[in-house]
Amino acid sequence: MRYLLISLSVFILSCSSYPKRQQFEQTEITKSSHINPYFSDPAEDYVYKADIGVFKKNFSGILIVKKLGQNKHRVVFTTEMGNTIFDFLFLTDDFNVNYIVPDMDKKILIRILEKDFKTLITENPFLKNSFKKNQETISECLLHNSKHYYYSEEQRLYKIIRTANGKEKVAFLFSGIDRKKATNIKISHKKLDLNILLKAI
Amino acid sequence: MHNVPSLSEITMTAIRPGFGFLLLFLFTGSLLAQTKMDPSKAKALEAKVKELAITTETITSDFIQYKHLDFLSNDIKSTGKLSYKSPNLVKWEYRTPFEYALIFKDETLYINNEGKKSNMDLGSNKLFEQLNKLITNSIKGDMFNTEEFNISYYENGVESEVHFAPKEQAFSDFIKVFHLIFNEKGEVTTVKMVEPSDDYTQIIFSNRIVNIPLPDAVFTH
Repeated sequence: MRYLLISLSVFILSCSSYPKRQQFEQTEITKSSHINPYFSDPAEDYVYKADIGVFKKNFSGILIVKKLGQNKHRVVFTTEMGNTIFDFLFLTDDFNVNYIVPDMDKKILIRILEKDFKTLITENPFLKNSFKKNQETISECLLHNSKHYYYSEEQRLYKIIRTANGKEKVAFLFSGIDRKKATNIKISHKKLDLNILLKAI
Repeated sequence: MHNVPSLSEITMTAIRPGFGFLLLFLFTGSLLAQTKMDPSKAKALEAKVKELAITTETITSDFIQYKHLDFLSNDIKSTGKLSYKSPNLVKWEYRTPFEYALIFKDETLYINNEGKKSNMDLGSNKLFEQLNKLITNSIKGDMFNTEEFNISYYENGVESEVHFAPKEQAFSDFIKVFHLIFNEKGEVTTVKMVEPSDDYTQIIFSNRIVNIPLPDAVFTH
């Protein structure tokens, strides 16, 4: 009976939503103009020095993001010498690989990169719930069928957590925030050996 | 001196398509100020560049690199320093806006990425091996290999511009054509790598110093 109670309480706890487990209170849905403002300015060329660690290999280069219209972004990764490694085009419900070097032309890798960059550039994902704790807010959103939690403090987005089955899967951390631009961005996968570090140049 | 055609003249030529086309062609030609080099001059340039390459033991030079992507508002600018020691030691060192150095030595590419050091066996990566060879040769200007490239020659005042289009498919998928600009002395002043998308990287050299002793320590990882 005691075991049943414990397992029941574990079950109930794991069923409670991700923010509630962190003592966040659910609030009325409040929509801000941009849930994620960091790649939303079409006048800006977003250029980052990028370090990517994947499956024990490290490589670096320059990541370039440009908003080309409403819900249209180009994401290009080049070597420091300027040779293109990959060139992606994101549209609302579409994604095109304009180019990728043959060495990296692997479906699984492209799918992971597509999801990560889609999270980075999406300004207004579908908002489901809002939560609050002190000065912090969490927006629970649905993006490519995964729950994403957007953490903001004093209206500054500093973290996005993608979850699967209530567990953290990928973390996007933003720091050095100046208005609508984050100087440092870190993307880390919990279950995969994949980390991306971006530093604005 | 060129006579600038008046509006009515342009209208007239528009009515006569053959002549209009010719005029447009000439006009465009003069705008680019670049003409095909005749074969004897091309041969002389090649000889001059090769001669210079033979007598060049070391080169140090500053460079400015512009990465041009059609969709960007501004080209991405970086600057650095190049060191070369005959026959095949090359160091590309970016200093702004990030610190990053590449050393091509023997069959290995050594990378220093803001203090984090790594290396890559070039033998296992054909593309980088070719890139290494090209970088070394393009610094000297000595890329006149008709087995590997379709080569075309142009002149623009005292400068010469040579286009090297890789013949091998795997390589031309990566870089469509290299443009090298030579000054009067046959030194490379600009390298432009054009990608199949027509986006390009342009590297402009300045403060070129040749044949000063360069200790091997410069190329130490």
